[in-house]
Amino acid sequence: MDKIKQNPIVKKLGFNRIILFCILVLLYVAFSIAIPGFAGMARIMSILNYVYFLGFLALGVTFVIATGGIDFSIGPVMFCCALIGGYSLNTYGVPVIVSILLSILIGFLFGMFNGWLVAFVGVPPFIVSMASMNIAKGLGSVFTKTQSVSWPQLNDPDGRGWFRNLVKVGDVPTGLIIFAVFVIILFIVMNNTKPGRYILSLGSNKEAVRLSGVNVRKWQMLAYVICGTLVGIAAIFFVSAYTTVQPGLGDTYNNEAIASCVMGGTSMAGGLASIGGTVIGVFVISLLQEGIMALRMTKEVQMIITGLIVIIFVYADVSARRRKN
Amino acid sequence: MGEVILTMKGIDKSFPGVHALDHVDLELKRGEVHALMGENGAGKSTLMKVLTGIYTKDSGTITFEGKEVEFHNTHEAQEAGIVIVHQELNMVGDLTVAQNIFIGREFKKGIMIDDKKMITESRKLFDELHINIDPKAKMSDLTVGKQQMCEIAKAISHKAKVIIFDEPSAALTEKEIEDLFAIIRDLRAQNLGIIYISHRMDEIKVITDRVTVMRDGAYVGTLITNDCTKEDIINMMVGRVIYEEPKTKSMVPDDAPVVLKVEHLNAGKMVQDVSFELRKGEILGFSGLMGAGRTETARALFGADPKTSGDIYINGKKVAIHSPQDAVRNGIGYLSEDRKRYGIVVQKTITENSTMATLEKYTSGLFINKGEEKKITEQYIKELATKTPSAEELVVNLSGGNQQKVVIAKWLVRNCDILIFDEPTRGIDVGAKNEIYKLMNRLAAEGKSIIMISSEMTEILRMSDRIVVMCEGKKTGEIRIEDATQEAIMDKATRDIK
Repeated sequence: MDKIKQNPIVKKLGFNRIILFCILVLLYVAFSIAIPGFAGMARIMSILNYVYFLGFLALGVTFVIATGGIDFSIGPVMFCCALIGGYSLNTYGVPVIVSILLSILIGFLFGMFNGWLVAFVGVPPFIVSMASMNIAKGLGSVFTKTQSVSWPQLNDPDGRGWFRNLVKVGDVPTGLIIFAVFVIILFIVMNNTKPGRYILSLGSNKEAVRLSGVNVRKWQMLAYVICGTLVGIAAIFFVSAYTTVQPGLGDTYNNEAIASCVMGGTSMAGGLASIGGTVIGVFVISLLQEGIMALRMTKEVQMIITGLIVIIFVYADVSARRRKN
Repeated sequence: MGEVILTMKGIDKSFPGVHALDHVDLELKRGEVHALMGENGAGKSTLMKVLTGIYTKDSGTITFEGKEVEFHNTHEAQEAGIVIVHQELNMVGDLTVAQNIFIGREFKKGIMIDDKKMITESRKLFDELHINIDPKAKMSDLTVGKQQMCEIAKAISHKAKVIIFDEPSAALTEKEIEDLFAIIRDLRAQNLGIIYISHRMDEIKVITDRVTVMRDGAYVGTLITNDCTKEDIINMMVGRVIYEEPKTKSMVPDDAPVVLKVEHLNAGKMVQDVSFELRKGEILGFSGLMGAGRTETARALFGADPKTSGDIYINGKKVAIHSPQDAVRNGIGYLSEDRKRYGIVVQKTITENSTMATLEKYTSGLFINKGEEKKITEQYIKELATKTPSAEELVVNLSGGNQQKVVIAKWLVRNCDILIFDEPTRGIDVGAKNEIYKLMNRLAAEGKSIIMISSEMTEILRMSDRIVVMCEGKKTGEIRIEDATQEAIMDKATRDIK
């Protein structure tokens, strides 16, 4: 076993990520055997729909967790973005592109708000994100006068449905291409740029980084801004796949995104993050969700499972660290 | 003084790489206040930790009230009647005085806590001690002095027979110290045995009956306080033996330019009106006892902690330093006494740590130039002879000496001209120590200017070209290396400032 772990290719990819990938494949095979008709393109397209928006959420929160922080507002903020963007589109008649940009802008602003409070004011991330979760829910409800909002369909008579091509064109999963591009960019940001280096380092030992003459507050805040912006993008992919958004919801996605991160090897203690791991984690969660639905179980069952996943993987991380020390 | 209540004989304790206690003896009588003295790192605290069961001794015997004992934790020691009043107070600020005193052994009424009884009992205790504190007051509302009194009351409520005071006066005002002494005299009159650890020579003369001195983990001797002078005690503390050749003259030419000038630096209680100059190529030693304000001065100078006032000049030009960023921009590097917390990111690689302060130099466009980064890191690994399998090794896997070299590399990559070494050899074994010394001398010879804070007298005398001595937040002296002796430094470091 140790010999496999020392293999340079295995080391590069990460032993835990390889295991997680095997789990993903096994899970898919298991569902395919247990559920007649599970295997096939239709299901995969459906899983992918879930992967996109959850992927952007999870990638965003990976940056925050890398700093040693946490963000429980991502799900509700995503809904808030989708609600305000969609409502402006339907009620005020703004062009689709403006709605999309508005949605991303709102995510960005939430990121600024959270990041500023955490990094400059010094409010604990847990409290900040709990508060902005409620703010996001409230804001979405107030703006839409507590009505659900539906984004235009592909066959919209005014041609406003073009944004759905972001997810798929015919049978081509264009969303996968966009998602892959983002994954590559974010991988590079995390591992090969100054912001990524500082975000990871300050997550590991903020004071040592500060005493090296680094503006740690700026970089800590940036992690939340990256997260918020990605949440805004997640909102676009959510409505492209699922059309309708209801006010006051979204918190279930927090757990799913965080579960994806910790499964992928991002440490809740900060300082250690894996973009690739998060992506595999997102696929596992999305597959689970699809499988559970196909088994005619409810969303609640999935909530139990994701809850347990978070606990198990965080425990594994904590005890691995304890062993090391 | 009465009969002997406590005897520690031949106590020996080793930690990996350190012989912390080398067959130490201590004898305490009933109705005695016994001072335990020695420099930082002499082993006083370790001895007390062995006594109260925090550490297990390797050999030796502890005899308490005629019976040989061995405590496995502080609770057992408390049960037997030996309690320690710590330097740092262990109080829960949001609880009341009474709740704090009886924490962990609350009186119960059924399943409810009997707060009333705790208050009455606390009041009784305070009356005994002639202290005026309201048991219902919130702990955080009391002054440090009053909190200390509560700590003492708590100790006594354990039916203590022996009380250890670990630098009790460090944070007290003069009035509070008088109150404290009144209580200690009271306790002595009640025939308790008291061990009193302090650095303040004048207090020792006032309050104690006998003095035991330790040095480098070994027992030096015990004197009757009234029969000895302050100088006798200092001589015993520093010893006559000088085991490393000290620097005999400054290596800095008289006309070397002043690179750093600090004027009237103030930062809280620990840095009061500190002024000094640092010349090019100089190693300026900062000596003093623990809590003298040396680290605080360095941190204020470096912008790590806010300062209240003071001017800093670099190469004759006044500079504003409000954060470590400003300091680094002005060519100052700080090597903390606590490397793992403040110096390095242990879970990251040597490369990542080496370029931590200089990353913009190794980024082209948006990307980190990993090739360049590796090259400079490997260059310094070679130059500083850092022992590591590769530049990609996590710093956590290196020894203390090699971790220190990574921190040094970080500032050399940055090309800092002024380096502040805070306890540069703490936690580093003897062989590596010499390497660090050589390195510091080389850096000074190359024209870097170094501030070296050290609690080791031999290190100060061996490395410094000039020595600044601090005591209780103030600069109490500046000594040329030609005139420096351990006694002269110690005298200034223990000078009581009224």
